[in-house]
Amino acid sequence: MRIKRESIKENLTGYLFIAPQLLLFLVFVVYPIIEGIRLSLYRINYQSETFIGFENYNRLFADPVFVKSTINTVVFVVFIVALTVIFALFVSSAIFDKNAKYVSFIRGSYYIPVMVSMVVMSMVWSFLLNPANGLIPYAARQLELTSVNFLGDTNLVLPVIIFVTFATNVGSAIILYVASMIGVPKDIFEAAEIDGASRLEIIFKILIPMVKPTTIYIIIMNIIAVLKIFVVIQLLTGGGPNNASTTLMYFLYNNAFKYNQLGTASAVGVIMFLIALVLSIPQLRAMFKKD
Amino acid sequence: MMGMFRKGNKNKKKKEKIDIILNGLVIFFAVLNLFPLYWLFTSSLKNSSDVVKMPPDWFPKTITFSNYVDVFNNQPAFRWAFNSIFVSLVSTIALIIVSCLAAYAFSKLKFKGKNVIFIIFISSLMVPKEVMIVPLFRIIQDLGMVNSLNGMIWPNVATAFGVFMLKGFFDSIPDSLRESARIDGASEFTVFYRIMVPMVKPGIGALFILNFVQVWNDYLWQLVVGQDENSKTLMVGIATLMQDLNPNFAYKMAGATVAAVPMLLIFIFFQKYFTSGISIGAVKE
Repeated sequence: MRIKRESIKENLTGYLFIAPQLLLFLVFVVYPIIEGIRLSLYRINYQSETFIGFENYNRLFADPVFVKSTINTVVFVVFIVALTVIFALFVSSAIFDKNAKYVSFIRGSYYIPVMVSMVVMSMVWSFLLNPANGLIPYAARQLELTSVNFLGDTNLVLPVIIFVTFATNVGSAIILYVASMIGVPKDIFEAAEIDGASRLEIIFKILIPMVKPTTIYIIIMNIIAVLKIFVVIQLLTGGGPNNASTTLMYFLYNNAFKYNQLGTASAVGVIMFLIALVLSIPQLRAMFKKD
Repeated sequence: MMGMFRKGNKNKKKKEKIDIILNGLVIFFAVLNLFPLYWLFTSSLKNSSDVVKMPPDWFPKTITFSNYVDVFNNQPAFRWAFNSIFVSLVSTIALIIVSCLAAYAFSKLKFKGKNVIFIIFISSLMVPKEVMIVPLFRIIQDLGMVNSLNGMIWPNVATAFGVFMLKGFFDSIPDSLRESARIDGASEFTVFYRIMVPMVKPGIGALFILNFVQVWNDYLWQLVVGQDENSKTLMVGIATLMQDLNPNFAYKMAGATVAAVPMLLIFIFFQKYFTSGISIGAVKE
């Protein structure tokens, strides 16, 4: 009897400690997911909601702008994540064994644009790329290149956005890699050096395989971050020219808050939710294996 | 012996050469990556004609602060800044309180369903709140929190990120510490508040900085919730300058600088918390 009462009390203490977090979590995380799935099956006009099954989804897949948004989002994810991993590996493997001041200087230089935020960086890039009085079109004219309107050209707009997003955000991956590389025991490198391995061999055959868990983490976190890419689209291109640079998040936002298509927007949200969930399975498995 | 020495030396030199080339490139790209910020800052100090002059002035010839005066005169920039600071600060403090409590429970207490709840918490980390922005906005509407800073704050406190991060810190404190204090008659909350919380201070510091910046830059949600002039945050307000009819780029750049400076200062003063905080979030193996 006593033992039972003790364990009830212990349970209760535990629940009390998690209660505030759990309550917020249920209201602002769990409920919106359930409600989002429900809304995606309805047609919503101001006050009235009509159940229409999967029609929102059917219409989405028939909508060329949605298809374009999906393709663009996938293109952004693939290229931005690949560039980020390759460049961050290059920077981190060059600096990780140098003196601490130099490491923190380089790391800081790449991280500052992350801190300053995508909003501010998008504004600067929109000025730098402005066809009439931006620095980059000016340089392009000096070099007598044919196209100077980088954001107005359907073929150039995606590469430009990929570059801007990558350059702004690569700093977080560098911080993660440097931390992880500093953690690799020094004697492994020393042993390899004694065996006559060159620096490049050490980097490719020892260092990069050793930081693989960090690589997986960076890939997943960046996929999730690029999946919701929005600010740079809104501030640089507005999805244009002619929907050439629209993304899923931008499409969702427009449907929800400009065209008042809440059912459609919810369906886009559910699709993005499922993508995020599937993509995060490897990371979740890695995290739970650790425990 | 001479020969051996020379060979070793030569080998080392060759290695250093590649290393020097790579590091040279790293420095070159670092400077290039900072150039847009240099351009932002110097453009904000130019007058409206110098800023669009081609060929450009690489250094501003005459320095003017009039763009900054205009930003603060034409726009409620102080109000925006106050809103940003308030939202970031309150979200972060509230997050630290609720996630400290929960992380402690997940780490040190025993209760039914603990593992299941924890797994659900952690799984949610991978789903950005933006994908459920429609139902989330409707909740905020129902709670009467549209155009209020409350609406920007509470969804951010719901994230499980703090629990995930702080649990690791509580895990590293030996259980015996709690048990002996409990035997001495301290209540669970006293143990938590007097013994455990002071020991996870580095984790709280890192979480504070990371979350503050996260909320400060939480543009899309703040854009949706704060629609009237009074509830705009700095990021949302500054971004509207881009759509402003005023064609003066120096003015827009001054606005962007105003939004950038607070974060730059935070980074310069708290750099070590960032580097530790970000890595704590990652898998360590």
